[in-house]
Amino acid sequence: MRSVNKSLKEYIRGVAGGLLFSLPLLYTMEVWRMGVVAHPWRLVIYMLATFVLLLGYNFFGGLRRDANFAEVAIDSVEEMGLGLLLAVVALWLLGRITFDITPGEIAGITIIEAMTVAIGVSVGTAQLGGEDDDDKGEGANESNGRRDGDAQDTGEKTTFGGQMVIAACGAALFAANVAPTEEIVLIAAQISVWRILALALLSLALGALILYYSDFMGAHKFVHFDAHHDVLVGMAVTYAVALAVSASILWFFGRFDGQPLIGCLAQTVVLGVAAMMGAAAGRLLLQ
Amino acid sequence: MTERLEKNWLEWSVFGVSLVLVLGTLAYLVYEAVTLGDQPPIIEMQLGAPEQRAGEFAVPVTVVNRGDQPAEGIQFAVTLESGGAEIERGEFSVPFLPRGATREGWVSFRTDPRTAQLKARVLGYESP
Repeated sequence: MRSVNKSLKEYIRGVAGGLLFSLPLLYTMEVWRMGVVAHPWRLVIYMLATFVLLLGYNFFGGLRRDANFAEVAIDSVEEMGLGLLLAVVALWLLGRITFDITPGEIAGITIIEAMTVAIGVSVGTAQLGGEDDDDKGEGANESNGRRDGDAQDTGEKTTFGGQMVIAACGAALFAANVAPTEEIVLIAAQISVWRILALALLSLALGALILYYSDFMGAHKFVHFDAHHDVLVGMAVTYAVALAVSASILWFFGRFDGQPLIGCLAQTVVLGVAAMMGAAAGRLLLQ
Repeated sequence: MTERLEKNWLEWSVFGVSLVLVLGTLAYLVYEAVTLGDQPPIIEMQLGAPEQRAGEFAVPVTVVNRGDQPAEGIQFAVTLESGGAEIERGEFSVPFLPRGATREGWVSFRTDPRTAQLKARVLGYESP
């Protein structure tokens, strides 16, 4: 069993991560508005989708690599709960939640913000600091059990599917911070087809740079350099994940309502730059 | 998967609170979604008692959206009429009125509203 002190440290890392990654969203007016406009069913779908992402992230990239499903599920519930709590406190401090507004408004604003906070909590718990302070004192034994196998684990467990789930988490975390802004709609409305194409190429290039040609976090360990063929496939699949996440988030924020197909496509590609960076970085950083 | 879950009291309590929060939120949303109808915004205005302020007369206006859908950029007008003719007109707008929400605004007049008849009207709004 972990000591209370140590789990407290984990939670504090989670809280820090949660606030760190969601701060831009907490301060964005369009997000508050969306929380009130969104139909309750949309919010339910948003919560479920986030939960699936959390499950996936905790399973493939989380803190406890050898965890069984029950533990992954428990962690995901905790992260979502912390996300809701943090969002309520932050929104109350910002004066977005007051006694004058209806319960429906409170729920909507909180949920919309809380889901990004929850992913931030999850990433924060697993990524911020962590590794060293675990190994001192009474934690040594269990952390060996958990951490020792890292090298092999990444080989075994980080399957293609796992990498895609983590890419999706990274994409969601990055894209969610830009998606709700009016700027995406404005850019998409004024952009020319050539620029859309150029943005798509830029996304691919950025992804390739981050994934394959940069050395940060030991990229070569995670990405196999077997052939140029693999590089192209990996890049294309990661971009597909990024675009899918980008489109889902935009749909969720109601940005596709009443838009022509080309408008939806333009928005998806514009947001796709952020999503692709998140996806590519996620495949490295979130491991 | 027969491993026993090893958790200390802090972890169990965080999990307990989180579970209640998450399930509670989902249950509330589902309840809202099921009971929510399709009615467009129904906006009601209520005028309060005029107050004299800095040489003007301010009339408090309370607006409520009783429909099922939110309204955006709602514009309100309050007119001061005497014998069927408009003497003065006050306007204000509310950026956003969610379902069930109440907001308060003020309109001000130079004429004492107690000497004439006040009429309130919703000019228009956008559906988000």
